[in-house]
Amino acid sequence: MATIASNKVIDNTIDTPGRRTQLVTGNQTYGSLTHMVARISEEAQPLAWWVTFLLAVPTLGMFGGLIVYLFLTGVGVWGNMSPVFWAWPIVNFVFWVGIGHAGTLISAILFLFRQNWRTGINRAAEAMTIFAVVCAGTFPGIHVGRAWLAFWLTPYPSLNLWMWPQFRSPLLWDVFAVGTYASVSLVFWYMGMIPDLATFRDRSTNKFRRMVYGILSLGWSGSSRHWMRYEKAYSLLAALATPLVLSVHTVVSFDFAVSQLPGWHTTIFPPYFVAGAIFSGFGMVVTLLVPVRAIYKLKDVITLRHLDNMNKIILATGSLVGLAYATEFFMAWYSKNPYEVFAFWNRAFGPYWWAYWIMVSCNVISPQLFWFKFFRTNAVAMWIVSIFVNIGMWFERFVITVTSLSRDFLPASWGYFTPTWVDLGMLVGSFGLFFTLFSLFCRYLPIVAIAEVKGVMSQHAHAEHRHGHGHSHGQSH
Amino acid sequence: MSDHKPEKKAKPPRAFGWVAEYTDDSKLLEAARKVRDSGYSRTDAFTPFPVHGIDEALGIKATVLPWFTLFAGATGTSVALLMQWWTNAYDYPYIISGKPFASWPAFIPVAFELTILFAAFTTVFAMLGLNGLPKFSNPLFTNPKFDRATDDRFFLWVDSRDKYFNTDKVKSLLESTEPVSVEEVREDSSSPEIPKAIFTAILSVILLTLIPGAILLRMRSARSDAPRWHVFFDMDFQPKKKPQQTTTLFADRRVQRQPVPGTIARGELDLADPYYLGYDPDKTAALGAAEATRMVAFKVQDAVVQDPQPDPTAKVPVVDKPADPQPVAGAGPAAAAAEPNYAWLTEFPIEVNDELFALGKKKFEINCAVCHGFGGYGDGLVSQRAVNLVQTYWLQPTSMHSDNVQKQTIGRIYYTITNGKGRMAGYASSLSPRERWAVVLYVRSLQRSQNAKIEDVPESRRNELSSK
Repeated sequence: MATIASNKVIDNTIDTPGRRTQLVTGNQTYGSLTHMVARISEEAQPLAWWVTFLLAVPTLGMFGGLIVYLFLTGVGVWGNMSPVFWAWPIVNFVFWVGIGHAGTLISAILFLFRQNWRTGINRAAEAMTIFAVVCAGTFPGIHVGRAWLAFWLTPYPSLNLWMWPQFRSPLLWDVFAVGTYASVSLVFWYMGMIPDLATFRDRSTNKFRRMVYGILSLGWSGSSRHWMRYEKAYSLLAALATPLVLSVHTVVSFDFAVSQLPGWHTTIFPPYFVAGAIFSGFGMVVTLLVPVRAIYKLKDVITLRHLDNMNKIILATGSLVGLAYATEFFMAWYSKNPYEVFAFWNRAFGPYWWAYWIMVSCNVISPQLFWFKFFRTNAVAMWIVSIFVNIGMWFERFVITVTSLSRDFLPASWGYFTPTWVDLGMLVGSFGLFFTLFSLFCRYLPIVAIAEVKGVMSQHAHAEHRHGHGHSHGQSH
Repeated sequence: MSDHKPEKKAKPPRAFGWVAEYTDDSKLLEAARKVRDSGYSRTDAFTPFPVHGIDEALGIKATVLPWFTLFAGATGTSVALLMQWWTNAYDYPYIISGKPFASWPAFIPVAFELTILFAAFTTVFAMLGLNGLPKFSNPLFTNPKFDRATDDRFFLWVDSRDKYFNTDKVKSLLESTEPVSVEEVREDSSSPEIPKAIFTAILSVILLTLIPGAILLRMRSARSDAPRWHVFFDMDFQPKKKPQQTTTLFADRRVQRQPVPGTIARGELDLADPYYLGYDPDKTAALGAAEATRMVAFKVQDAVVQDPQPDPTAKVPVVDKPADPQPVAGAGPAAAAAEPNYAWLTEFPIEVNDELFALGKKKFEINCAVCHGFGGYGDGLVSQRAVNLVQTYWLQPTSMHSDNVQKQTIGRIYYTITNGKGRMAGYASSLSPRERWAVVLYVRSLQRSQNAKIEDVPESRRNELSSK
């Protein structure tokens, strides 16, 4: 049996020149790796899972209840009030869509860049993407006022309306961008899972499980011809998803940037939003995977090296976001447009100064800790920073949406937004939806892309073999 | 299993080929090369992950999949652009945000998204289709060992349909490649059909999901006497009152509220301003019940309105009056109706100057002089001809110089011009308020000139007059 072994190098966060970094630690074999991942859905779930699940499901129930309450009563249950008509629902939407960027980024862009470390985390990150997009899609859906007519957004020949959607509006672009992103991410995720679902099928000991996973894996046999087309399809999807993932938050930013409002109407928004989205997405991946690798004992697959790399991306994108904040102020000053200048002065020192400075400290200052290796490789420290990143990115969307709307051109129409308990309940409830889906994913589906990790293990073994560094490429049986 | 002879298995379960099991991808590669070098082409490998180099080793040709992606992507772009153009620029064009109907830059995002959408879905489904998936019945799966093909074992397969296939030779070839095991794959004895229970379950789920749609379609197409079935009421039923309904909220039980006194509706200043009316409506209302009665009568009885103020001063002293027969029905008795008791304006509401006078003269000579005459004596050309023809219906136009008219306030004259009097039609449609006031000014000056006394002439020039 092939073993990918290294008894000497335990800390794989250190790069040794001329050597490939070990991405799977602990002398794992193909068989032991399969077992490590597949057993999660075969054995009884750990206590932490039950705690998460049993907290998430009632929260999801509350979310559903609040949506019913909203439908029966109307959008007045929210704090949305003139002049702030886009309030928490849109803040939550952009927040969740942003989080949903990491998964496809990891599976597509890092794939194109041949970053092999992505294989350990891409499945969980893609799942996170799907669930985050589900949460995101909920908010504009219920924000349209009469959510049961939301299907009017689709261009279908209507016998009642005799009209068509308005394709010159960024709000409709958003429908297409998020819709495409959600569905393409879903097929990408599912396609990536087919071989691992086949693994689950073949390990099944009871008939029902074998049948369900058998149907889900579509009869995957691992044929080399299938693998060849599969890999080609994967590359094509990665190439398609790469511009897609960059386009989604670009289009989301158009919702704001195409309007005339000071603080929104700015050309920096697309790159600024994309950087923020990657930043928040990786923040959420770290938030999720640090506990997941501990609870499910996946530290040999999701190694410190993976987390270290992600933290470096968080540092880079967090600094990009900080640069964007600074650039916004520069542009406001340089434009000499009094409304623009006021909008940004008002952000930092107006009635929402607290939100602005929470955003800056969480998004710009806290990731700077990742310059130090201790913070990049210490699970607790990075987890805390990642929580700050999540908080900060929520506040960034709050700052952009609410401060700009609350004080626009006419001082007579200025206002101060106050959320209601329904607003708060829905934000919390969306986390209920997210964690319910994520718990179910951990319970029933392969958390790690087993086949892809095996491919990386094989590459590593062959590379080590060629280099002849004496690492055992042994065999048994 | 591995020792079956071809003759034995010839009849019942058909043999599909041989499969060898390896522990390592490099061994698999070596074996695959060896098998290929031996001339076998109907071969395949089954591995838990894509093994690098296996395509070459087995001689697998590149896939046509990228072409599917390309064409689907191009289709997506075209469909998106065509759809946006057709819906927004052709079928339902309307102006919004200052963009042209066919606003190509604004169509880019959706075109991009649909390109990706079509290409991505086609890629996945074409990959599955080219791979022949889903395929739930596979003879290889009957071998329990094969379960490890998705775990940690690597399998090499030689198909019995290969043109050089010879069971013994294949077996010995495979055995020479250091496999863990070499086994023959037989036909799956179980039925390849979907189990009845699953088939039924899937079918019933599909049928059940069709029901709501079918109900909707039926409701949309069929006629029914039953009230509409509302899931969401939208704005069809609202807790609101309509104008002609009653309410208990107000003392007068009217839903429709009256405007606050003194309110002037947009575009109805001519109903409320002395400049347009010739009288002050507020003061008129304060004068007493006569006006209010008239207003009520206006709404209730059209007949009263037709001629509310017939000229009581039909006797014009200047020109002989012919017969005055009043042939028009209804005019006779109504002629006795009282002069309206309005708060007439006595001062011009606009500046009086030469320009206004000139305007008044011009408009008088155009509109009034044909009947009333250039001097205002009621002897216009039309009147003269009518009198000459002895038209019995003809009523002599009023002279501006009659006592009655001379006594009238300017507001009263304006009112007459505006609304007409007796046989005379109102001139509101021909003359603007300013022109009407100008005509009033001219009438006043005519009266003054035609009825001048010697005192009106400046003393210094009286001699000139008398001398002529």
